[in-house]
Amino acid sequence: MHVLLCEDDDLIASGIVAGLGAQGMTVDRVASAASARSLLHTAHFDVLVLDLGLPDEDGLKLLARLRQQGLTLPVLVLTARDAVDDRVAGLQAGADDYVLKPFDLRELSARLHTLLRRAAGRTVNVIEHGPLRYDPSSRKAWLGEVAVDLSRREQALLQALLHNRGRVLSGDQLKDSVYGFTDEVESNALNVHIHHLRRKLGNGIVETVRGLGYRLGPAQLPEQEGA
Amino acid sequence: MSLRLRLSLILGGAFILIWALAAAWMFRDLRSQMMFSLDQRLVASARMVAGLVDQLPAPLSTQDGGTRFSADQLSIPDGMACQVSSLRGEILARSHSSNQQALDDQKSGFHDQIIDGAHWRSFTLARDNVRITTADRQQEREALNTSVLLAASAPVLMALLGSLGMLWLGVRHGLAPLGRMRDALTQRSPDSLEPLKVDALPSELQPLLATQNALFLRIARTLERERRLTGDAAHELRSPLTAVKTHLQVARMTDGSVREQALENAELGADRLHRTLEQLLLLARVEGSLSFDDGVQCTAEQVARLAIEDASHGDRERIDLQLAEQLSSACLEMPSVLAIAALRNLLDNALRHSPATTAVVLQVRSETGRVVFQVQDHGPGIAAGDLHMLTQRFWRSGNQAGCGLGLAIVQAIVQRCGGNLVFDSATGGLRVRLELPLQAERQGSAKPVVSRVEPAAHDL
Repeated sequence: MHVLLCEDDDLIASGIVAGLGAQGMTVDRVASAASARSLLHTAHFDVLVLDLGLPDEDGLKLLARLRQQGLTLPVLVLTARDAVDDRVAGLQAGADDYVLKPFDLRELSARLHTLLRRAAGRTVNVIEHGPLRYDPSSRKAWLGEVAVDLSRREQALLQALLHNRGRVLSGDQLKDSVYGFTDEVESNALNVHIHHLRRKLGNGIVETVRGLGYRLGPAQLPEQEGA
Repeated sequence: MSLRLRLSLILGGAFILIWALAAAWMFRDLRSQMMFSLDQRLVASARMVAGLVDQLPAPLSTQDGGTRFSADQLSIPDGMACQVSSLRGEILARSHSSNQQALDDQKSGFHDQIIDGAHWRSFTLARDNVRITTADRQQEREALNTSVLLAASAPVLMALLGSLGMLWLGVRHGLAPLGRMRDALTQRSPDSLEPLKVDALPSELQPLLATQNALFLRIARTLERERRLTGDAAHELRSPLTAVKTHLQVARMTDGSVREQALENAELGADRLHRTLEQLLLLARVEGSLSFDDGVQCTAEQVARLAIEDASHGDRERIDLQLAEQLSSACLEMPSVLAIAALRNLLDNALRHSPATTAVVLQVRSETGRVVFQVQDHGPGIAAGDLHMLTQRFWRSGNQAGCGLGLAIVQAIVQRCGGNLVFDSATGGLRVRLELPLQAERQGSAKPVVSRVEPAAHDL
């Protein structure tokens, strides 16, 4: 899951980045509304975690403006203000969920998964794709009845593909989803993860669309292990 | 008791009293006029009888106990008796039956007398050789009087009842605006702070409504301010708490260097929380009525040195202390702990907003009865429009660290101790002028009271 965190407090932000990262999410952090806006226009994210007390612009105004511009990305608002009016204003401005500081990291990640699930139109948390089942919150995958062990990067890659079923994702988009913007990525690192994923979930799971990028293909039981 | 009832009772009571007095006066006058008229009738009748007696052809004789002549004959009105007697007392003629007791006619003029148990009013006229007495019954006079009074009292009573009715209606109509105001007040919810709207109020009530609405507005603003402050305080306390909690959870999830880093960050968050709490408490104490007077008194120089010590955290080189030549040696007329806290916050602020390579200049000089601390930094300064925001609680310029309470505390201290605080950003960097009151200087005033100040630490 590729998360954009917009939070001006360095200490809180570093905690969220580390905490969500430890739970298998890829988190990019910006500290101002302006950089959030520019990043949202140029890159793909699965969810936006927005702190309301930004230095350059009120978070709610930013959110309302983004919604006006047609941003459909699920948005979770983080705030230390608990007045009912504030919450109502937040939801009216287009927030999908509202988490009050101080929060529990596990709750935050559970809510993020729920948001994503809802955005994908699913009512249960487990994503099914042919014989493949994937639970984004526990980050476990099954092929038929067999649990498949995936690394953190592979999980992120699979999740990005599952969330964009039927759509072609460019190599850069996939890289963003797996590494975020901050990690230094070797040029063939993505290919390595794609290779591993194919080995574990069947060759067809990642389809290469020549010149454009990659797409989710049908999952199948790997031959040598299924035999 | 409602205002309307009260007003009606007071005015109605007054009406009834005045009308009753007027009626009593009128009735008394009417009665005496009546009696006078009836007396006049007796006199007129007696004179008329006298005239008739003169015209009688034969002199009146006393035979047969007196001649009876009818009342008609003498044109005596009904209910009136008439008697003609000689000077010797012989009754010559009378209008009523002979078996009745004779009227007493020994003296001229009016008399009240009782004849056969009835009260009579008589008038006796002596003329030549006869006495003529006319009389009527008191009872009839009273009956006549009563009927006249009754006739007169009916309109009085009607007028009284009419005016009472008009009074009731008039009071109701006159008090209608009050009623509208009452309705408007009872219909609003108890915690509503919307301005009250009442149409067509008289000029006496308009100031009341205006004052009331102004009060509502002020309360609403105060509540809004308090609500915002509470929200701000919650935000300021929750943010570091969030940092602590988040990093502790990260520490639990991870290990190795990531864990160490998370624990370190949690500690940083705890420090921040601690600082914010301390500042909030100090602000609350300064704004409250708590006493800070611990008996320690400091001169301006001592305050400056202690504040520098607190603010610089050992790095005194960054603060350039410039003491005026003739600096007053008087102690400050305020708790020294507050003076030090105020100056320390100003220095903290200046240091935080200055590049690490530049010094913050603290000038200290005394004016009559006051000491002036002037702190000049070489930071980016602040827009003139934002100067008034500086002392607002939780306001920070841009994304600066610090809890946003430092200058609010300085302002509170200045207000509490009768000082003065002026900001100026025209010179590049922010210049703050803090004036604090000095005690009246005594001859050969006491020297250092605080031992922490070392004279050697002179960095001028």
